[in-house]
Amino acid sequence: MNLSKTGIVISREYLNKVKKKSFLITTFVVPVLFAAICILPSILMMNVKEKSQKVAVVDYSGIVVPFFEDSEAAQFTDCSGENPEELKNELKERGFDVLVVVSALDSSKNVSLQTFSKKPAGVDFSESIRSKASKAVEQYRISSYDISGLDKILKDVKADVKVNEFTLDESGNATVSESGIYMIISMLLGMLIYMFIAMFGGSVMSSVIEEKSSRVVEVLVSSVKATELMFGKIIGIALVALTQFVLWIVLTLVLVTAAGAIFGFQDLAASAEMTQGMAGVDMAAMAQNSEASVIFTTLSHIPWGTLIVSFLVFFVLGYLLYASMYAAIGSAVENEADSQQLQLPVTIPLMLAFFIVFFAFKNPDSAVVFWGSMIPFTSPIVMLARIPYGVPFWELALSIVLLLGTFIVMAWASAKIYKAGILMFGKKSNWNDLFKWLKQK
Amino acid sequence: MYIRSSQNKKNMAIIECREVCKSFGEKKALDHVSISIPEGGIFGLLGPNGAGKTTLIRIINRITIPNGGEVLFKGAPITQTDVEKIGYMPEERGLYRKMKVGDQAMYLAQLKGMSASAAQKALKEWFVRFGIQDWWGKKVEELSKGMAQKLQFITTVVHKPSLMILDEPFSGFDPVNAEIIRKEILRLKEEGATIILSTHNMESVEELCDNIALINKSRLVITGGVDEIRRKYGNNNVEIEYTDADGRHTEVVSRDKAGNETLQGFIDKGVTINSYKELMPRMNDIFIKLVTGEEAGKE
Repeated sequence: MNLSKTGIVISREYLNKVKKKSFLITTFVVPVLFAAICILPSILMMNVKEKSQKVAVVDYSGIVVPFFEDSEAAQFTDCSGENPEELKNELKERGFDVLVVVSALDSSKNVSLQTFSKKPAGVDFSESIRSKASKAVEQYRISSYDISGLDKILKDVKADVKVNEFTLDESGNATVSESGIYMIISMLLGMLIYMFIAMFGGSVMSSVIEEKSSRVVEVLVSSVKATELMFGKIIGIALVALTQFVLWIVLTLVLVTAAGAIFGFQDLAASAEMTQGMAGVDMAAMAQNSEASVIFTTLSHIPWGTLIVSFLVFFVLGYLLYASMYAAIGSAVENEADSQQLQLPVTIPLMLAFFIVFFAFKNPDSAVVFWGSMIPFTSPIVMLARIPYGVPFWELALSIVLLLGTFIVMAWASAKIYKAGILMFGKKSNWNDLFKWLKQK
Repeated sequence: MYIRSSQNKKNMAIIECREVCKSFGEKKALDHVSISIPEGGIFGLLGPNGAGKTTLIRIINRITIPNGGEVLFKGAPITQTDVEKIGYMPEERGLYRKMKVGDQAMYLAQLKGMSASAAQKALKEWFVRFGIQDWWGKKVEELSKGMAQKLQFITTVVHKPSLMILDEPFSGFDPVNAEIIRKEILRLKEEGATIILSTHNMESVEELCDNIALINKSRLVITGGVDEIRRKYGNNNVEIEYTDADGRHTEVVSRDKAGNETLQGFIDKGVTINSYKELMPRMNDIFIKLVTGEEAGKE
């Protein structure tokens, strides 16, 4: 291989892609989306806190009002005895946001609620008054049974089971863990690597098709070897992918940090930073909930170093494997539409891997998951999804070796197909043709 | 009909095709074609559409691998390194549509082994020569077909190849631009380059080519020097124009005898000879005669 010429091909491919509007847009829009997913829930929560609703209550039953306790979200005023029709009209003048009318107890000792407001009161609000009213009705019914000590009995009966999860490390130490976190990280990783492989593999294919359909390829192969052209292209686009990946992480961190500084929730930024941006998205949102400590303990026990290194290794190898297949397919067709049929055998294992990742959630130690993480066509995606759960080193190494070996064989085969394919014009090629080219000397 | 010229044996052949065969499935594209292309000068590869010209060119460029025979470059089997030095303009022109003209030209020049600075300098010169400096920052898709052709020509010759292969170099050009390209080709020849061009524009053959090969239906029909072939296919007549007491006359006589003897006959008659011209058939007529003659022979 002539390295300097391959280098020229790589740099053209890289610069050409990086200068494209679509690259710039995805590079800058995705971090904004990531950051928005991180930040929006918090901003929304802040807004909810700031604006508590002033609620007027007209209670015909007489039992519900005491249960309407003021909270951050709502302040209740007992307006029983007033005419709800008048209240409705004067709602704004009297400084209320919502009017709640509680009906009188009916024959089955139940009440119904009606709310009136200028702006929709929101699901959270109606859910909160519903549960409060239900409690009131339950209390009323219980007290109507007139059984002494019933309150206590019911209290005793009520069960509140909690699951505290621990995972045992090598030395048998128990650490708090939360399988939900593993699931989310594992799913995100699987999706991310699937997306990257499909997106940039497809990009290699379009680039090959572009050269073929514009006929520029004939001039190119009289200057460089077809294999140099193919690998130059694959490597160039890999560098584009890595550039995009790095920019996503950096930009997401910058945006989240900046937003954190503006809105004042540093812990959010810190958690995002800790999760290296990619998984930080949901983590950050979750850090808000009450089990934050468990989550952080769990997060701190995830092998981040291994995870990031593995992501890069499996992305690069998985991409190389699929990109060389995509290049071979691209070489056989003259336009994208014709590639659909040929692509199928390549997209199926990719999709399969994606579905196995969903299995990995439910049972990370199942046979399907194990084999999925070993068989090279699904392993980049499935193995990566397994890593948060912890994978023995020998399995990781074996998977990488198998993947690398398959890539080498596939690269050789693809180069042969590519060499023959790029100069075949006019005839629509099928898989038989591809095999024929493969067997050609 | 299979005639081989011995004229070029004196010169070292830059390209020699020996018994080159190529078939695509059942279809034969080239059938034992042997051509010797001398160094320096312009070699025309002629033939009707589908004769196998482009296939032969691709075999010389090692884009297509022949089923049989071999191609020698300066006496040794041609290598990838040799091919990478050739300036090749394929019949199907192609450029990256979305790329800027300057970037595109730089890319192709660098792939031919030029350094970035040398490529930039040489390209600027060519752009000035063709009066297209303004195009540097334009996208290829903004160019007209003729403009793109010019760019393609520049990218083919910018690295000063000693051998150029131009497949149908005039197709797609209007007469004005075709003339510009014709002049450039002649200039490159003057500078000592060898140029192989395929064409079915016979006028350009007479004007440009020193040697030709005619391929029809995948076989070599004839190869040799243009003058030699024209002479061979002429009726071997000369046209003599003379003035005698009755006025001006033209007479066509067979040139069986040596030219001087014929002339002597006229001189002896006491007439004044105005001109003596060898009657050469046009390449176009030879082309048609050979191609249709082959078909008639087959039927």
